[in-house]
Amino acid sequence: MLEIHWGLPVIIYLFLGGLGAGAGVVSASVFLRSHAGDASEGAFDIARWGALIAPIPVIVGVGALVFELGSFAVGDMFRWINLFLTINLSPMSIGSWLLALFVIVSLVYAYTFLGSNSRPGDEHHGLRKKMAWLMVPLGVGVALYTGILLGAMPSRPFWNSPILAMLFLISALSTGVASILLMRCIFGGSSSDAKGVEDSKYLLSSTDMLLISFEVLVVFLFIMYAHLTVGGVEHAIDVVLGGSLTSLFWLGFVVIGLIIPILIELKYVLPRLLKQEHYAMPHAMELAVCMLVIVGGFMLRYVVVIAGQVTGPIGI
Amino acid sequence: MKDPATQVSRRGLMKNLIASDRPKRYAMVIDTRRCIGCQACTVACKSEFSVPLGESRSWVESIEKGNFPDVGRNFLPRLCNQCEKPSCVSVCPTGATYKRDEDGVVAIDEEICIGCKYCMHACPYGMRYLHPNTGSVDKCDFCLHRVEQGVAPACVNTCQGYARIFGDINDPSSAVSKMLETNAVSVLRPAMGTEPMVFYIAADSSDERYAERTGVYVRVETNRRQQKRV
Repeated sequence: MLEIHWGLPVIIYLFLGGLGAGAGVVSASVFLRSHAGDASEGAFDIARWGALIAPIPVIVGVGALVFELGSFAVGDMFRWINLFLTINLSPMSIGSWLLALFVIVSLVYAYTFLGSNSRPGDEHHGLRKKMAWLMVPLGVGVALYTGILLGAMPSRPFWNSPILAMLFLISALSTGVASILLMRCIFGGSSSDAKGVEDSKYLLSSTDMLLISFEVLVVFLFIMYAHLTVGGVEHAIDVVLGGSLTSLFWLGFVVIGLIIPILIELKYVLPRLLKQEHYAMPHAMELAVCMLVIVGGFMLRYVVVIAGQVTGPIGI
Repeated sequence: MKDPATQVSRRGLMKNLIASDRPKRYAMVIDTRRCIGCQACTVACKSEFSVPLGESRSWVESIEKGNFPDVGRNFLPRLCNQCEKPSCVSVCPTGATYKRDEDGVVAIDEEICIGCKYCMHACPYGMRYLHPNTGSVDKCDFCLHRVEQGVAPACVNTCQGYARIFGDINDPSSAVSKMLETNAVSVLRPAMGTEPMVFYIAADSSDERYAERTGVYVRVETNRRQQKRV
């Protein structure tokens, strides 16, 4: 086994950064799509929860990253500032700037939703709308660049796939949706507008279902193309096709994070989708789906980060 | 396309892109037939740079192969390849690692490097390590401090069998240019597209996969900490 240079801090960051960015993107796009929250109270509520969640995991994740730096380990607390004294085409350089912008914008965006009496058309309305327009590209950028960062190196054949960034983006959006649903599940009080609540819950669950089905497809493409090549990439993918990370990948990520949640969601979403019946997912099921999706998102980052490092180029 | 004049000018353009605006282009040829695996270069390098325990900038791998009585033992000295297209440089977010315009050596500014370890992943040869004292990434730099004074790199200077030949390939009369002109050479992992400037004569590529394919016993020994070739 080769050395693991990037450990738990990087895995935690990839997971939390994706989750926060995903929550921010979902919040901002739901907000913009519902005519800045005017269309329904439920949509504004989704946007509010997403906005309040977004900056926290990203900031915690970036904080964790600092602990992986060699300069920090020798007691040089602030050498990482060098990242922001330059900009180049390294995915990490572009990613650092994106992250910095995302943190600032998401904090301002969250600020416009603070206060229990925030509602569509209040005094922060204009600022909120401007920030929402910025949140979408910045959030997609943050979610996407991590996959590009890992994928940029021929020396890491497991990571060196253009579809890895897509997988990370979809997983980020999916965990973002799950985190919003989870927060609403735990803290969301009763609303007078029962129809609006049902609509918004249905919107989130069906979106999550769609995202997970895309994720299943992307995972299939990722594995299939790697397996069909010869050489380093095929050798590397063997680590999840019979190698040391097989059970973690298939049980921890595919079954727990994708298959079980999508089956549960299908059971409750399909009746409304096909037969226009009422959408009513039990509270406990909602909680379970969210937790499974979030655990699956973590497992994906864990397996990918470790698998990329225990495999390498073959031959000399 | 077939116009010979165009062909020539194209070649000229390529040459400009790759080489000629560098006053010097340092390269090394390693004649593995002359290497006896004494590890003198490994030791010279470690003492030259006070490389911490468990790490190495340069080392010698040995490849033991065959079934008794038909056996062989070959050596493969390793060091930073000073690639023409270094993938470590293109991923560095701070610009701490860079390819020098004046001689093509890939160097690291340890004051700027934040130790993010991205380049350690990007290097297909596993030549980089995190220095535990500086918190920066470190690797072979062709002994720049010696070479700039006109002295050969420590590993070249100490090599008993003259297996390591170092010099400037922009100078046609240098030993390294003559070696490149007259010998069949190869580079390590050419498929990575990094275009190394360290060339090998008779490098043995046998490894576990070769052993599986041919049924020949092979054991690769390296003095890296993880005891495995990366």
